[in-house]
Amino acid sequence: MKKINKIFLSFCIVAAALTSCQDAIEIDQPGRLGAENAFRNVSDLELGILGTYNLLDNTAQIGFTSVITDEVGIGVENGGQRVGLFSQIVNVTDGDAQSIWVTNYAAINSANRIIEAAQTITPDASEQEVYDSVLGQAYAIRAYAHFQLLSYFSTDLTDDNALGVIMVDFVPEVSQTLPRNTNGEVFQLITSDLDRAATLVSASATNVTFITRNFVTALRARMAAYRGQYTQADTYASQVLANVPIATRNQFSSVFADNSNAGIVFKLERTVNDSYDNQATAGGGRAGTLYSFVTAPVGGGNFLEMGRSLFNALSTDDIRFDRYVDDSSVIDPNYATSATYLNSDLLAIGIYEGSEGVNLMNDIKIFRASEMLLIRAEALANSGNINGASNSTAALIKQLRDARYATAQPLPTYANETEAFGDILDERRLELAFQGHRYLDIKRLGQRGNRSVVRDPRDCETNGACTLESTSHLFTMPIPQVELNANSVIRAQQNPGY
Amino acid sequence: MRTKFSGILTLLLAFVVQLTFAQTKTISGNVTDDSGLPLPGVNVVKKGTSDGTQTDFDGIYSIKADKGSVLVFSYVGFKAKEVTVGDRNSINVQLFADAAELEEVVVEAFRTSTKATSNISSVTITAQTVEARPNASFVQTLQGQVAGLNITTSTGQPGGNSTINLRGISSINGNTEPLFIIDGAPVDEDNFRSLNPNDIESLSVLKDAGATAIYGNRGANGVIIIKTKRGGFNSKLKISYTGITSFSELQEADYSLNNSQQQLQLERDFGSGLGTTLTDAEIAAFGTTDWADVFFDTGITQNHTLSLTSGGKNVSTFTSFGYYDQEGILQQSGLKRFNFRNNVSGKSDNDKFNYGTNFSINYSENEEPNSIGSGAINRNYVLGAFQSVPYLSPADYTNGADLVAQGNFFRNTPLLLLDRLNTFARTENEVKIIASANASYKITKDITASATISGDFTDQQRFRAEGPESFNAILFAQNGNTTPGFQDQRTTRTFAFNSLTSINYHKTFAEKHTVDVSAFTEYFKAHLINFGFQQNGLNPRTFSFGDGSGFVPDNSANDFFVDTVDSTLSNAGLFSYFGQADYDYDQKYGLSATVRRDASYRFSESNRWGTFYSVSGRWNISAENFMQDSIFDLLKLRASYGTAGNQRIVDAVGQFAYFSAPDLTRDLFATGAGYAGQGALSLAQIGNNTLKWETVVSSNIGLDFELFNRRLRGSFDVYQRNTEDLFQNSPISAINSATSLRANVGELENRGFDFNLAYDVIKNGNDGFNLTVNVVGNYNKQEVIDLPTEDGIVFNGGNTVLREGGPINEYYVYRYVGVNPANGNLLFLDANGDVTENPNPNTDRVFTGKNISPDYQGSFGLQADYKGFFATAQFNYTIGVDRFDFDYSGFIDPNAIGQFRHSTDLQRAWTPDNRITDIPSLTATNLALDANSDRFIRSSDYLRLRFASLGYSVPSKFLKNTGFSTVKAFVNGENLFTITEWQGFDAESDNSTANRYPTPRVISIGFEIGF
Repeated sequence: MKKINKIFLSFCIVAAALTSCQDAIEIDQPGRLGAENAFRNVSDLELGILGTYNLLDNTAQIGFTSVITDEVGIGVENGGQRVGLFSQIVNVTDGDAQSIWVTNYAAINSANRIIEAAQTITPDASEQEVYDSVLGQAYAIRAYAHFQLLSYFSTDLTDDNALGVIMVDFVPEVSQTLPRNTNGEVFQLITSDLDRAATLVSASATNVTFITRNFVTALRARMAAYRGQYTQADTYASQVLANVPIATRNQFSSVFADNSNAGIVFKLERTVNDSYDNQATAGGGRAGTLYSFVTAPVGGGNFLEMGRSLFNALSTDDIRFDRYVDDSSVIDPNYATSATYLNSDLLAIGIYEGSEGVNLMNDIKIFRASEMLLIRAEALANSGNINGASNSTAALIKQLRDARYATAQPLPTYANETEAFGDILDERRLELAFQGHRYLDIKRLGQRGNRSVVRDPRDCETNGACTLESTSHLFTMPIPQVELNANSVIRAQQNPGY
Repeated sequence: MRTKFSGILTLLLAFVVQLTFAQTKTISGNVTDDSGLPLPGVNVVKKGTSDGTQTDFDGIYSIKADKGSVLVFSYVGFKAKEVTVGDRNSINVQLFADAAELEEVVVEAFRTSTKATSNISSVTITAQTVEARPNASFVQTLQGQVAGLNITTSTGQPGGNSTINLRGISSINGNTEPLFIIDGAPVDEDNFRSLNPNDIESLSVLKDAGATAIYGNRGANGVIIIKTKRGGFNSKLKISYTGITSFSELQEADYSLNNSQQQLQLERDFGSGLGTTLTDAEIAAFGTTDWADVFFDTGITQNHTLSLTSGGKNVSTFTSFGYYDQEGILQQSGLKRFNFRNNVSGKSDNDKFNYGTNFSINYSENEEPNSIGSGAINRNYVLGAFQSVPYLSPADYTNGADLVAQGNFFRNTPLLLLDRLNTFARTENEVKIIASANASYKITKDITASATISGDFTDQQRFRAEGPESFNAILFAQNGNTTPGFQDQRTTRTFAFNSLTSINYHKTFAEKHTVDVSAFTEYFKAHLINFGFQQNGLNPRTFSFGDGSGFVPDNSANDFFVDTVDSTLSNAGLFSYFGQADYDYDQKYGLSATVRRDASYRFSESNRWGTFYSVSGRWNISAENFMQDSIFDLLKLRASYGTAGNQRIVDAVGQFAYFSAPDLTRDLFATGAGYAGQGALSLAQIGNNTLKWETVVSSNIGLDFELFNRRLRGSFDVYQRNTEDLFQNSPISAINSATSLRANVGELENRGFDFNLAYDVIKNGNDGFNLTVNVVGNYNKQEVIDLPTEDGIVFNGGNTVLREGGPINEYYVYRYVGVNPANGNLLFLDANGDVTENPNPNTDRVFTGKNISPDYQGSFGLQADYKGFFATAQFNYTIGVDRFDFDYSGFIDPNAIGQFRHSTDLQRAWTPDNRITDIPSLTATNLALDANSDRFIRSSDYLRLRFASLGYSVPSKFLKNTGFSTVKAFVNGENLFTITEWQGFDAESDNSTANRYPTPRVISIGFEIGF
């Protein structure tokens, strides 16, 4: 009997262990917020849109554009950074294509979550304006991100039947794999999103670090221009210019020092201790770290310097020279024959020298009035109004140059449309340098303006990659490997050449 | 009545006493073994008393005894013999080996068996092989000693973590390292730097499913059971001391590097760098600095262990103190530790109740530079040591501000790093307590109840500071910040608790049928508290490392001095119940089965429970009648089949391993910093609510054998391990705002064999020469069976790929074939095998079949002894490892001319006058294309004298009457030489990354005394 008791006792110990087991396997980790409880009211939506904005970045686009085109050359402090892309090697596994693809879809996903959550929230009358504004910004971001993707991944934006990108206007299930839509389908969504945004976003919103109605119009203008729909492009661009005049010569440097918003339609705010306040030599951090490790001036770790051909195109009378070429630069007049070109000719890139005391950190300019002006110039060239003192391409080009040079500039005259487009491209190259435009511009206007990527012979003597014709397949980015891995339907839709 | 009886007793007593006095005499004689050789150290005790002596070195004893008393002769491994003292004064005894004693104890999961009755594949390593080695972590010592256990150490950091894989890599993304259990306590497998290897009694590696399935949730990668030393009951106090001093030095690489003149000449010829500004005479005047001598230095290690063992009738103890101080060969690296251990065993008088406690507390201080292996020219000392230009010298360094002003960062790499040595510090202090207690009670003769509880506590404090006047602080300072620099401090505390309760039934029926059945429950819970802050801004007037006096407060003008704070709480838990049944027939046939149900907190919302099982059996062929006169002392065939699980979804390292990826099943949002630093609400994680256990299905067939009176011993095992439901990043479309999701997809296979063999070539006993040779080997073939993508290929990015039918992380590159004599460009093969200068990385890369895992690895060696002198040698070998030699690629990179040091190989570079060469033109236009080629893939196969030892142990006959029981002195060496094609710094590393901290060559001298 005693023995039985002992056995019984032992099993009680076992049983005690069994009953207390639940706390080991049912653990709710501290600090978790389930997706199902994320958005409960309008304040949550407001917080949500700040998260969505934070997904917008343009540094991968800027860096990729600079390196593959003729904006940069290898710098004296280069330890191998970006040399592959500088040799025009573009690979489906490259970080740039992946970064542009993934961050824009992340922004779209985030916007869709807010749009869907908003359907479940009924705002009070007092909240209605904020609610509308948040929703409008979400639509605008969704449109902007789709358009960014189209710009880099569609072969031809002027062809509505060409393959575009995956259009997403809902929160997808993880198992979903979708094919690319046509450009026309995506444009339709963008257009309807922008129409909504144009009414929902408050007319009184003027902060250029957030989406305003001018943002919506500017995006419409750029999209129309990229599509070759120049009548609309002209209208929208004119609307923006009516609200936001271009920066003057005196304002130009302080605009890039983030001390002035003259001529700014929209820029992404970058500030001390935000999530972009870090180094990233290939995007995703401070913009200036795309070119230099530590500081912009010579000696600050310039692994990329200004391309010699771009430098040669800049006049010292041009205020853009002052801003783009850092004062510390060492200019070798005999660079073309120097035996030590890399060491003797040091062209430090000054555009992103820093702000708020932080080196290399600057706001990312997305839409500027001068781009609108140049879009108008394109529209006029397209309609044959290339010469003349007013309402012509030449007039607008002169207007811009007058705002950049110390003295009034001559009115250009163009022999034909090709020359006009060529000059527009040359002016865009200067006005929008290091802002992520050159690659797309050569792609869409290179043939029409008879321009291509042309590097100075000294910049390409190590890799032989001296030119890149606008017809090259490299002007459309590859659908990145990460998407191909997941999405079998898109594999047959890869862009040509990859 | 009483009086009368007492009277008789008294009388009798008097008689006996008188008789005793009369009959005491001295008995002497010798003791020999079965072959007639003298046996020293045999205990000779008068039965029923504690009076006794031992035989001397010649097997001779002498003892005072009475006629009629009984002498007991006993010696480990031999049958004891009793002899009654008669009239003769000389008694010679021959002892015979005891078959039962010969049976080595085999450590199994929750029990021990003998070599004859074990069904499992396992190897036990004893204290002898772990003691007296200079490695801070015992894991490094295990390397090459166990067939199938592949250990690589890719850092020379004292106490650094090693990669441990048993029979191949069983998971692509999850944990791949074995479970370590120290005295019943499951412990963190990445951190042994605080533990004293000299406390270890034995290490048992459990390999097949029969052995590990019972560990269910944690047994998928094998199990290593460590037992620490204990005292024996009824033993005298024994004190022993071991002291070792070691000298470590860099294992040099085999690159031919430029001296200053060659480097400056190259710069001048190429047109980049300092050389371009110098005349011949100026170049000739430069001295050459070997920066490896500046950043690396001989490291001295002191290692002291004092241990005390003793035992009474019911209690025994083992206590040890250890002090260890190792200087790393790299500047600013080192480890100091203090250990204390106390193990107690106890039992009741009737032997029914047994208990044991194991307690060790360890404190270590670790200096560990970070950024090692990175390309950070201002942080990685190793980069400075290997790559720096030789024409600078340490005298060129003044201070950080000057370096900032100078620019030329790449060329000034060594000076930046000298500045860092002066201005940066990083230390980790750790308190580690491992404690366990076990108790068992025999309820009846056949039924025993047991319980074990254990805890693994680690508290780590890390300090890191970059001084305000350092190059890095000044360089990265915001404009106007005159007090830059930072200090951060982090405390990570983890505690893991494990409780195991079991009941066991063991009975032998009809003498031949033995049944052993057990039931268990196991409960595991772990907690993590992590807190850290970073102070930005240090005032140089008052700053001192580790102290807060120099902290600069935040101000209203800017946000430069805003501190960052973070804090984490995490919990983890597992619960299981399981059973084991074992049947033996007459020590001839055996059959075991285990089954286990496991629940993990990681899958609490998906597939919480997993079931794992195994069956195993054996046939002791040598026990059959027909084998009776054979040469086999043991011949046993084993087989097992079973499953084990892995719930460590993410291969996190160290203290965070238990807590990583705790709820990947959930969709989560997070609050935190959003746009422009404002608060925001954003998606943090997309969940996968179908996650479940990764399962390893293993089968194993093995043969254990002992021949020729055990002179030849060994075992051979063939295995196959298939990992199913692999944890992989299953790609998902980027429209989900992520590109992959952790999921259970795919299958991986490892198959191969392992063997170990030892042969006593010469066997002469203690008085003569003995030589034993041994060999250990493993062949393992990895194959990816199934992948989540339809075409069976997953590109990892970079130059590796996963492919169905290929090994893990196979190199995927185009083939480099040489230099074009026409123009000095590189030549490659395209996908069709045609020569091209412009291969396309998207279409011309091919599967190479090569990767970084070995096909064959193991060791061979010998042990010899002669009259107290002993020698040991262990050679390790690895075959089938291919790595990128990125160090070399840096040494011949023309883009780095003017910045770093180069190889003299560049003197052979193509020029119009030197067209037939293996080095491309320095201005080859397609140089950048070699990034996706096999140009720098090299074999890293090696044969290395991993360990050699020479020593003398004073024979016991000389120690008689000295009070000492052991006196021993030795010299040993680790990594003495390596034969390899690999040119780089350490052939052993399992990593292609350049500029890593190589493992050192170590020479030690030591001695051991006991009394």
